[in-house]
Amino acid sequence: MKEKKTVKRHLGLRATNAISNSAIHVLLVIISIIWLIPFVCIVLQSFRLELSGPVGYVIPRQWGLDNYAALLRTDFKQWYINTFIIALVNAALQTVIVLCMSYTLSRFRFKMRGALMRLMMILGLFPGMLTMIILYRVLKDLGLTEANAVPGLILVYVASSGMGYYVSKGFFDTIPKSLDEAARVDGATRMQVLFKIILPLAKPIVIYTVLTAFMAPWGDYVFARYISFENPVGMNVAVGMYKWLTIDQISSNYTMFCAGGVIVAIPVTILFMCLQRYYVEGVTGGAVKG
Amino acid sequence: MASVKLTKVKKIYDKNVVAVHDFDLEIKDKEFVVFVGPSGCGKSTTLRMIAGLEEISDGTIEIDGEVVNDLQPKDRNIAMVFQNYALYPHMTVYENIAFSLRLQKVPEDEIYARVTRAAEILGITDYLMRKPRALSGGQRQRVAIGRPWCETPRSS
Repeated sequence: MKEKKTVKRHLGLRATNAISNSAIHVLLVIISIIWLIPFVCIVLQSFRLELSGPVGYVIPRQWGLDNYAALLRTDFKQWYINTFIIALVNAALQTVIVLCMSYTLSRFRFKMRGALMRLMMILGLFPGMLTMIILYRVLKDLGLTEANAVPGLILVYVASSGMGYYVSKGFFDTIPKSLDEAARVDGATRMQVLFKIILPLAKPIVIYTVLTAFMAPWGDYVFARYISFENPVGMNVAVGMYKWLTIDQISSNYTMFCAGGVIVAIPVTILFMCLQRYYVEGVTGGAVKG
Repeated sequence: MASVKLTKVKKIYDKNVVAVHDFDLEIKDKEFVVFVGPSGCGKSTTLRMIAGLEEISDGTIEIDGEVVNDLQPKDRNIAMVFQNYALYPHMTVYENIAFSLRLQKVPEDEIYARVTRAAEILGITDYLMRKPRALSGGQRQRVAIGRPWCETPRSS
């Protein structure tokens, strides 16, 4: 009698798991479709030839690559190169700064460490827009605005990057300190401990930091517009393409805007698809402690 | 090997927590000493101070007659086996044991000879190309012992 009861309970559990897993998967598929719809719409609209303004349908009646070709007749190439350079340099420099900052705060104990972390947390609560005016003044005095907005923007992004140490520090905290100590007793300097022991174990967070630093400049509009001050030589893609959505231009440039959006999404999408596993590991690994 | 001398060594943490009180000890060359005591009495703290992993609040530590209070662990020429093994997870067993020798710029053929000799004695020759996560607890212990064994420290 007892064995029969146990078997019956086991089957019930399996059936329950199957039902709940199916429900979760259905929900995830629905959410994925909702997330993908805007992107699919933009891709489809980028191939539309019949009208260049917004329309009430999604699937084009005439297909072609004219909108992509039209991008080359604008300053889009210049904006794309600007944004790519900013993203690349920012990714390199910001990664170095964030990882060094995170490692130091994770491993070293020094006076004012707690106060420094609290100060950075409080400063981080203030929106970056508050600094816009003074930043513009400083960059203008340095000659890093308008046509020279690219180095100016790199300076703005990199200068504040150290304050984004939270996730990386949380990840480093999960790596046992005994590994550092063992390496130091083995004869390693602090720098050797970081490069030979810690960073190889911190691959997910390094990639996460590189990815987030690379992605940020592609979507920045406010700072980029302010510092480039409408000079097409210094604009990034967000600022440049936004002009095509103004009331006087949208009816002639909407499909070209969609084509530009697809091209902007390509490098980030490729990077994400290649490095997705590390990105998830980096985010969740750093989520344990702040 | 070398002699180790602790003279009135003290360790005080923040908020005046005294972990080690005026500890005196002299260990002669080639002598084997075991620290025993109740949990929290300062055994690990004393060992860490000798290794240079903890700063000394007061007193002196001498290794082979040289005061090493301000020396980094890498400059004290000692070896240490950690309680939790502290094996480098991304390195193979061979690389774990060879790590300190490579830092000392020992030639590769000598590293190979020392590592394989240590592995043979410890019975871990078959596991030299494995990573720590593929080893049992006992095998990891042996690797942890093999690591300082290959060095030629003054004290261990």
